[in-house]
Amino acid sequence: MVKRRLVSIGKWIVLVAFLIWTVTPILIVIVNSFKTAKDTFTDVPKIFFEPTLDNYVNAFTKSDIGLYFVNSAIVALSSTLIVIILAMFAAYGLTSFQLRFANTIANGFLLGKLVPVIAMLLPIFVIFNAVGLRGTLVGPVIAHVALNLPFAVWLLLGFFRDIPRELEQAAMIDGCTRMQAFWRVILPVVVPGMAAVFILSAQYSWNELLFSLQLTNLETYTLPVGIASFVGAISVDWGLSSAAATITMVPMILIGFFVQKYIAQGTTGGAVKG
Amino acid sequence: MTHSSAGKAITKRVAPNYARKDLRLAVFLILPAALAIFIIMIVPLGYALVASTFDYSLGQEDTAVFVFLDNYIRFFSDPVALQSLFNTVLFTVLSLTLCIGIGVGMSVALKSLSPRTGNVMRAIFAMPLLISPIIVSLIWRYMYDPTYGLIYYVLGLFGLEDFGGLTETATALYSIVIVDVWHAVPFIILVASAGLTMIPEELYEAARIDGAGALRTLFSVTIPLLTKTLVVLILIRGTDAFRVFDLIYGLTGGGPANSTTSLSIYAFKQAYENNQMGYAMAVAIVTLIGLVVLFGPFMRNSARGKED
Repeated sequence: MVKRRLVSIGKWIVLVAFLIWTVTPILIVIVNSFKTAKDTFTDVPKIFFEPTLDNYVNAFTKSDIGLYFVNSAIVALSSTLIVIILAMFAAYGLTSFQLRFANTIANGFLLGKLVPVIAMLLPIFVIFNAVGLRGTLVGPVIAHVALNLPFAVWLLLGFFRDIPRELEQAAMIDGCTRMQAFWRVILPVVVPGMAAVFILSAQYSWNELLFSLQLTNLETYTLPVGIASFVGAISVDWGLSSAAATITMVPMILIGFFVQKYIAQGTTGGAVKG
Repeated sequence: MTHSSAGKAITKRVAPNYARKDLRLAVFLILPAALAIFIIMIVPLGYALVASTFDYSLGQEDTAVFVFLDNYIRFFSDPVALQSLFNTVLFTVLSLTLCIGIGVGMSVALKSLSPRTGNVMRAIFAMPLLISPIIVSLIWRYMYDPTYGLIYYVLGLFGLEDFGGLTETATALYSIVIVDVWHAVPFIILVASAGLTMIPEELYEAARIDGAGALRTLFSVTIPLLTKTLVVLILIRGTDAFRVFDLIYGLTGGGPANSTTSLSIYAFKQAYENNQMGYAMAVAIVTLIGLVVLFGPFMRNSARGKED
């Protein structure tokens, strides 16, 4: 009895420690975004201070963060939409037709996880430079689609594999065509998988730096590129970059709270049941 | 299992009427995604492979000189390149081990809570996952700041303010591993938690009746039944760690004295700072080979696991 008690106390100490470890860095950056430089740079971290909105005013007036926000939203939404559509059809095609090479093709998709990003970046950079697409939002969108597709297809495969074939057969016996059966019967069942693909692809695209850095110009900067330009300099403007960081991460965290239960269901749909 | 075999039997009977039209539809459905991967990933990879056998700089492709394997020979006689290979492997092994260990441990602890508390905790634990690596590096640069950073403040309380952090070659890479663990453990927790919910409760029941303790249950029930999830986690997290770029770019840029230069960072520097395109491509191809050697076996396992 005493032993169980001790184990339970130990468990809670570990959990609370991990909670502090997880939350503190995030809170610090959010708190710093409301601090003046004088309050940020103190030897002893300052907990009580007079909040200011100056950093946010600066972010919107001295930098084009509003524009970057819009650019990021366009890139994240369009690349995610394309990923979902392509992955959904591919996963359905690979699971519902008893294709002989289905497993080989599915593995081929997963090989995409082995391609070093840098090996894709330079050739795409050269090609986009040649055809005049460099500096447009098309670059990051295309790159993010390719980077997200392998995992998305693989993740949805798990969901489609779990659907009993009888469901589809029944719909077709009732007079649906194959695609009608797909839209009306199959799709509603895999909504959690779609939600997982949505949040994982969207967060990747929203947060991705390397391609956006190399393929955009001042007018098409995304949020991470904008932040990198504050940080990359010799001295970091902590107030400004903390405000920009808060503006970037809070929307994603809020969306994440809404769909987080789907993430868990999604990433293991195929991998765990089996 | 029974579902799919029954499904197969039905399809076989119906198949002849549909076969040809079905095949066309299937190809039509799979082709766009396959083409997208092929055009945006495989074609550039082929380009990189060819480019790695030339010595040239960006914008001056006309003066490219064919050097065949010279860039690869150069890689293996270039101390910085070898160090970046070593850094990458060390980073991957450390980060992966810590992430899986802590992540699975936390998931097990979370599972023992009431569903409601567990879910709230999981949602909070998941937050770092959704933050951009460049922001993560920004936050942690502040945390690691020798004068104002919280880390040094806490270490100072224990008289450990001599810790080198990001500024000394001996500690910089380990300091980045800590940041990567902070960023990536949430992903492990999410996936492993879902994996744990799939383990039938009866097995724990049986272990309890047999008088197995908590540790015994962990190693005899939980871990073996989590194998498939673990393989997937190693594959996804491992390939991401091996390709690490953003985090190092934002935290140290590869310094001090190349002690945190990863293969991706080195390739990037060769391409965009030294304008050695052929060599940069060779470094990228070496990265690819490293990934295949380390994670190829896991990929085959995960595929085989899904066929049954």
